[in-house]
Amino acid sequence: MSAQLAFLAFFGAAALWFAVVVFRTHSMVRSALALLFSQTAVGAMFLVMQAEFLGVLQIMMMATEMSVMAIFMVMFMMDPGGLGAMEMTHQKKRSLWAGGLALIAALGVSWLGNWGPVATQLALPARQTELLGIELLGRSMLIFESAGLTILTAMIAATMVAITPLEDEPKKERHHGH
Amino acid sequence: MVIELLLALGIGAGLFGVGLYGALSQTNLVMIMMGVELMLAAALVNLVAFWRYLHPEAMSGQMFVLIVMTVMAVEMAVGFGVAIARFRSRGSVEMEEARELKG
Amino acid sequence: MSWLIPLIALIGAIYLLAVIEGWSLGGAFSLARPARAALAMIGQESTKTRKSDALFYQAGPVLLLVAGVLAVAVIPLAPDIILADMATGALFLNAALAYVLVALIMAGWGPNGAYAMIGGWRFLGQFLGYAMLIVMPITAVAMRAESLMTTQIVTSQAGLWNVFYQPLGFVLFMIAAQALIFLPPLDLPVAPGELAGGVEAEYSGPQLLVFRLARFVIILALAGAATTFYFGGWLGPVLPDWVWSGLKTMIIAAAMLSVGRFLPRLREERFLALCWKLGIPLSLINILVVGVLVLVVPV
Repeated sequence: MSAQLAFLAFFGAAALWFAVVVFRTHSMVRSALALLFSQTAVGAMFLVMQAEFLGVLQIMMMATEMSVMAIFMVMFMMDPGGLGAMEMTHQKKRSLWAGGLALIAALGVSWLGNWGPVATQLALPARQTELLGIELLGRSMLIFESAGLTILTAMIAATMVAITPLEDEPKKERHHGH
Repeated sequence: MVIELLLALGIGAGLFGVGLYGALSQTNLVMIMMGVELMLAAALVNLVAFWRYLHPEAMSGQMFVLIVMTVMAVEMAVGFGVAIARFRSRGSVEMEEARELKG
Repeated sequence: MSWLIPLIALIGAIYLLAVIEGWSLGGAFSLARPARAALAMIGQESTKTRKSDALFYQAGPVLLLVAGVLAVAVIPLAPDIILADMATGALFLNAALAYVLVALIMAGWGPNGAYAMIGGWRFLGQFLGYAMLIVMPITAVAMRAESLMTTQIVTSQAGLWNVFYQPLGFVLFMIAAQALIFLPPLDLPVAPGELAGGVEAEYSGPQLLVFRLARFVIILALAGAATTFYFGGWLGPVLPDWVWSGLKTMIIAAAMLSVGRFLPRLREERFLALCWKLGIPLSLINILVVGVLVLVVPV
């Protein structure tokens, strides 16, 4: 069991280190990819904790999400390469306090909490995946379906918000071509 | 055995702290979203740790993780939708310049 | 030692593939040419661009190689010759190949060159097109096998290969595979002749060698995936099982390498429109058809 502890510590340290890099680097692409590697390390922690399906899913999803994040960073930032070393923060001190307090509070609760006996028996990965499928399409079907519906609604709403309204389009440009 | 649970929870706490700092201190919408993603990742770590070390027989624990992953995706979609609209109308997604939203 | 045989097979297959590509593009069949070209690249100077993001520049090709090797790891050459027989093998293949995108963005952004950067972001656009087309056909394959394990997917095709059982899914998968490894006609990220090599443009020397090597590994991973998912993996009469899977993989890889010679390059937004308007509905239909077949036809 000590191997599990060692790997958990390793990937956890990687996740934390990359998380700190996200807000310390000036290059926006580096920042997005640091977040990606932090999330990948979290996925690796899932694998260490023997939740194989979730780990692989996390690793797969985050690669896409964070790459999309990177291109939005490049689109919206004044200095995406970070060559100008711009200051992009505000209320830094208060934020540090808030983050530190949240950290200490969460640590305190986790250390003081009475967690009871720790489970040792675990289903094999193949069986786990099967059980998760049964859970998804059985007892939790309604929740799962609403999650799917929510994401569809969000996609449509986000697209609606993002596209230019027709009346705002400059009319001249549209007629130029013809 | 319980030391692994505590380690995982500690890492979750660390990620949450870093994420909260980022969400509060950054001036750019996309960077704030990164902070939120980190906080959600912290929640994921905790959920998987609880599932693995406390209730590995209850698959609803893994189910909850899937829902949080959905929330992450929804947050990204809506956040970028708003960011694009904001960038179109105001030319930037800096939070300091969004004071008129105070009303 | 179970990892040694797949590794030797991988290296041999890469070399053979390099020979085949030289044959198909240059017209000359030469067994020694890839080795000579590789030696030349090792000796070449590794140029650096001004104000490059050195970390990404170095890490891009390496990450590409790692992604390829991880993807190969879940592909079985025979029932017992497989690096990692994971319970979620088919999903893991996807996860590993998603990092091709990350690697190309890193390699495109790193050198601080216009062509490279355009190539990297172009691949992100291409990814938005093919991403669903690679996941949804695999879903249909896993539905028939009732498992995500690659070995079990192969054994599920003992009655009838998936290429006949779900031909629609196969076609979509191969288009997505061609886009994933940016081979012509979907080679926009590198686009020789139009983007001056794109992502590859600023690389030279050993790093270019790693990049090219990684490309072959990923082609093999995709051809191996097509073999596993659609051509019954190691299943076949007379010959030993590893010969069958190796043969099928090499034929598919050779086809992937040479199909671009007969087709014009597809523009990015046309590819995206085709994928979203035609590809996704078709892959949903594929899932539906396979679902009905699994219930009704006992093959």
